Amino acid sequence: MARPMGSVRLKKANPVTLAIGAALCLFILYFLLGPATSDFSASRKATAASHPLSPPTSPFRKSTGGKLAAPPVAHYNLNNVTTTPTPLENSENVLLLTPMARFYPEYWDNIMRLDYPHELITLGFILPKTREGNDAMRELQKRIAKTQQQGPEKDRFKSIIILREDIDPPLVSQDEKERHKMKNQKVRRSAMAKARNSLLFSTLGPSTSWVLWLDADVVETPPTIIQDLAQHDQGVLAPNCYQRFWNEETKAMDERPYDFNNWQDSPIALELAQKMSPDDILVEGYSEMATYRTLMAYMAQEDGRLHEEMPLDGVGGAALLVKADVHRDGAMFPAFAFYNLIETEGFAKMSKRLGWQPFGLPNYKVYHYNE
Amino acid sequence: MLPFVSPEPQVTPRHPVGGYSNGYPRGKTFDILPHRYQPRGTIPTTRRRTQSLLRIGAVAAILFLILLYTLLREPSSPSSTTTSTSSTLSLFSLGLLSSSGSADFQLETVRYHDLSSVQGTARGWEREERILICVPLRDAEAHLSMFFSHLHNLTYPHHLLDLAFLVSDSKDNTLGLLTESLEALQAHEQESMHYGEISIIEKDFGQVVNQDVESRHGFAAQAGRRKLMARARNWLLSAALRPYHSWVYWRDVDVETAPFTILEDLMRHNKDIIVPNVWRPLPEWLGGEQPYDLNSWQESDTALTLADTLDEDAVIVEGYAEYATYRPHLAYLRDPYGDPDVEMELDGVGGVSILAKAKVFRYGVHFPAFSFEKHAETEGFGKMARRMDLSVIGLPHYTIWHAYEPSVDDIKHMEQMKREQLAQEQAEREKAERAMKIKESFSDAAGQWEKDKVGMQNIAQEDQKQKAPAGDPVEAVSGDNAAVSQSKGAAQPAGGKVEEKVVA
Repeated sequence: MARPMGSVRLKKANPVTLAIGAALCLFILYFLLGPATSDFSASRKATAASHPLSPPTSPFRKSTGGKLAAPPVAHYNLNNVTTTPTPLENSENVLLLTPMARFYPEYWDNIMRLDYPHELITLGFILPKTREGNDAMRELQKRIAKTQQQGPEKDRFKSIIILREDIDPPLVSQDEKERHKMKNQKVRRSAMAKARNSLLFSTLGPSTSWVLWLDADVVETPPTIIQDLAQHDQGVLAPNCYQRFWNEETKAMDERPYDFNNWQDSPIALELAQKMSPDDILVEGYSEMATYRTLMAYMAQEDGRLHEEMPLDGVGGAALLVKADVHRDGAMFPAFAFYNLIETEGFAKMSKRLGWQPFGLPNYKVYHYNE
Repeated sequence: MLPFVSPEPQVTPRHPVGGYSNGYPRGKTFDILPHRYQPRGTIPTTRRRTQSLLRIGAVAAILFLILLYTLLREPSSPSSTTTSTSSTLSLFSLGLLSSSGSADFQLETVRYHDLSSVQGTARGWEREERILICVPLRDAEAHLSMFFSHLHNLTYPHHLLDLAFLVSDSKDNTLGLLTESLEALQAHEQESMHYGEISIIEKDFGQVVNQDVESRHGFAAQAGRRKLMARARNWLLSAALRPYHSWVYWRDVDVETAPFTILEDLMRHNKDIIVPNVWRPLPEWLGGEQPYDLNSWQESDTALTLADTLDEDAVIVEGYAEYATYRPHLAYLRDPYGDPDVEMELDGVGGVSILAKAKVFRYGVHFPAFSFEKHAETEGFGKMARRMDLSVIGLPHYTIWHAYEPSVDDIKHMEQMKREQLAQEQAEREKAERAMKIKESFSDAAGQWEKDKVGMQNIAQEDQKQKAPAGDPVEAVSGDNAAVSQSKGAAQPAGGKVEEKVVA
């Protein structure tokens, strides 16, 4: 058929139209494929659990709304879960546990900076069921959603578990002064110990190699803290917890020791404990009860070797790297007086009873939030 | 923008300036375009549209191919190729086929659990409370089938039961048989028979103590053995306890008889830790039954005094003369006709069957693998729970039965008994055989007697009828005599047999 005005029809096919069409196609394609491509990479999917009833340390398949099949028979060979000084090379899973009463954005920013592969890190949080806890929860969830859903995949953590405590809050106030009053210590730390144990034993699971305890108010750690601490190959290892502050005298930022729960025992402390009833606890950092223990907080040296180790008899929970095997053997945070010690200090004692000597790194520092 | 080539459209001037299409020039008049009439074109609009659509389609196809290419290249591992292909496949199927078991799924990385909603109540089955059943195993192949029949019969809703097994240092086919049985369970045609999460955990502790009864229960081996058992239990629990569990039930694989409703029965008491009484059946010659689990007890002053004299790492074990504790044991307080709901406070518990609230373990109570107040494993567990003011209860009249495994002495004795029994059976069989032979070789006298009697009567009748000569009755009498002598002969060997029996 003749087309006397063949060129006429071409006037519609101008490049702009085509470009718009192409853009539209891309747009549609993006939305069709979108959910799949913006989701996790295949390597992560390969390690995911197929059923929601599974260890919380791994992500699981979202239900498609249909009826779920019976959960599979899952095999876990714990002989193959290694805990070595080179966790990175062996792709060892780390469980980062944080009991959280308040949410500090600096805390989240700090763990986001950890350069251990995030796809090997599982985060576990436990929050009290109080108004404060609810507030922290809201903040935390905001950050989690931002990271896990919108963030780049390398920032996303393997999985995240949020627990709410079933323990009645022992104290109304988390105010620093009230919190640190000596007579409140046993009740407070007993509740804290229960919270820690609840968090630990609900989340540990069969694939964890290391457990890193990091308090919610620890706002600065070296980004390589996991690798640095793991290289010591110790069952329980505590870095030194300091606090940065504005020094009025020198008119400059300065740092001071913060966590006094990392210590070596003294004969005086042992004698004190001997005289106490088995239900009483000996706590550190109070003038009413001078223990003359060797405190790691004061052992840091300006020119000291970063990786210098010292054996400890009591540890604090601010930052603590523990081999999962230690916890699996049964080392937990006693919520009762265990050799007149409680919570993290009792934990150190229990680890020792199980044959794991705790160590500390006086010159390796992490920093506590300044209230 | 992605590169694509489009032909430069050759646009001819559409609106010639300066005149109407009819050719008449106009002066300074207002121009309305178009000035010229143009036919709508010879190509129908539909085709024109198709062509432009085709063009857009072609571009889209190219773009799509590019996208597909990048998608396929992106994953690095070979296994992942399937994932992304399937995600592009879902594009074609518009997601309708995605549920067909392919690897197309999304991940959920965040879990939220409120621990105050899994506290455990007296009527857990109504509130859908999940129970974790923990079973430590070692060379337990022989008991597995029995255990699975128990599991099958449990009346607690199966989908609320999560099973966790620890297989350690096993030399037999425990693992293989276990896997097979569990997979069969989950593939059961009845959906109500499916269980919840099932984990098989392997961990070898390098146990040196043998698992046979003698070395297992020897006194010297106890402390080390109990500490190792404790470690195994802790490893199992820490790997299997989840935030959604309300209860944890510890069960030994070698329980022979237990009520199907045991979970509900124990749960009804709503205690933090609760144990039934554990006995075992015995052969008749050993008394028929015996208390088995002596680890459930109340503390006594004697034991506390004893504990003070021992060194830090010593472990007191029950049921051995070396440590006389004089404790009241749950096992000995059993009354077979007693009320099964009667409770008794305990300080140490045995591990055959423990129902505990999950919060007990969450708060940190575990099986000490060290000497905790001079106790380890389940007894230390009871002690630690008491230390944390949790309730530890035993039911003296609610009994389950542990399988009977004979000790070495028992086995010797049983072999002896077996030999005796065999000898006796042999003797009886011989006796029966002999009786049979006798019966066959000597015909029964009674039948002959009857026959003769009938014969005699007939003869007598004939005699009466015919009044025959005197010779005939003699004949009949002689026949009678023969029968008598015959019956005597039968009695003779019988007497000999009695004698023989006495000799045997």
